[in-house]
Amino acid sequence: MKRAEYKVPGGKLLAAELGVEGGRFAGVKITGDFFMHPEAAIIELEKALNNTPVEDLENNVNRFFQDNDVTLFGVEAGDFVKVVRLALES
Amino acid sequence: MKETWRLIDMRIEDAPTQMAIDEAIAMARLKEGTPNTVRLYRWNPSAVSIGYFQSIEKEVNLPACEKYGVDVTRRITGGGAVYHDYDGEITYSLVAPEADPKMPADILESYKLICGAIVNGLAELGVDAEFKPVNDIVAGGKKISGNAQTRRHGVILQHGTILVDSDIRRMFQVLRVSDAKISDKLIQAVEERVTNLRHYLGRQVDFDEARSALIKGFEDTFDVALEPGELTGAETRLVKQLREKYRSREWVFQR
Repeated sequence: MKRAEYKVPGGKLLAAELGVEGGRFAGVKITGDFFMHPEAAIIELEKALNNTPVEDLENNVNRFFQDNDVTLFGVEAGDFVKVVRLALES
Repeated sequence: MKETWRLIDMRIEDAPTQMAIDEAIAMARLKEGTPNTVRLYRWNPSAVSIGYFQSIEKEVNLPACEKYGVDVTRRITGGGAVYHDYDGEITYSLVAPEADPKMPADILESYKLICGAIVNGLAELGVDAEFKPVNDIVAGGKKISGNAQTRRHGVILQHGTILVDSDIRRMFQVLRVSDAKISDKLIQAVEERVTNLRHYLGRQVDFDEARSALIKGFEDTFDVALEPGELTGAETRLVKQLREKYRSREWVFQR
């Protein structure tokens, strides 16, 4: 399991925990003290990353926020990319 | 004539029940046509509530909670972990429709407005506090209140903590604070980030005095009269269902 934390400057804390199997994400879990409405969308975001190639991370995160009516507060879509990347590098 | 909102005043309940009451009021607001509601409440036993997205293992020192008899639950709102000290903390909640003319559509503006009610209440006590984005209220540069909002069922539910005389040492025994968060704020001692009414004012503030000030803060900010009321039958039935969720391992340990 890889794990990283990222504190958004002037914003909230994000953490990502994940595994990589054959170049694909496995068991992605994102935690932190941020705000997302509706809250259960986090489960969908994790599902949208699991079993996808790690190099598609940015595209898949961006597509998720384009296709779903999700409001973020204290973090931005790009911060999810950043924290997952940090976890990959850990 | 002034608009009237319901006040559910200083109920003392355990953590699952308090969280169930907030959620039940939010669920019933449009479906049952219940009034806009402000609650002030205390947690018995003392409890930690963590934000919806938080990792329980990373945020909470579970053995310390066990040792001190501190309950743990997960909120439906995001945000951070809070220590609700029975002897030193008041929690508030506010439920109003997103479409209410008094409620800004913009999330930051709505935090600013609702936190403004707390700031105004604290001013009644002589505290010079201010809203600090994203979701804090600070006095003398230290956090005195944390707040969290969700929007669901067409309503805004915001709840938050006001530190009256919280045991700050115990707070940091039961909560874990991440290194990333500490280094960002460039402060070695986490205790230096937090204050309470007694520390700030240098005198004892009893719950009744704080309660009266907060009520005035809400009434003045929203130009309403808060009228003491109780939960409806429908809300009470919802509370009984919902509190099982807040007690369940499946909910509390979900991440």
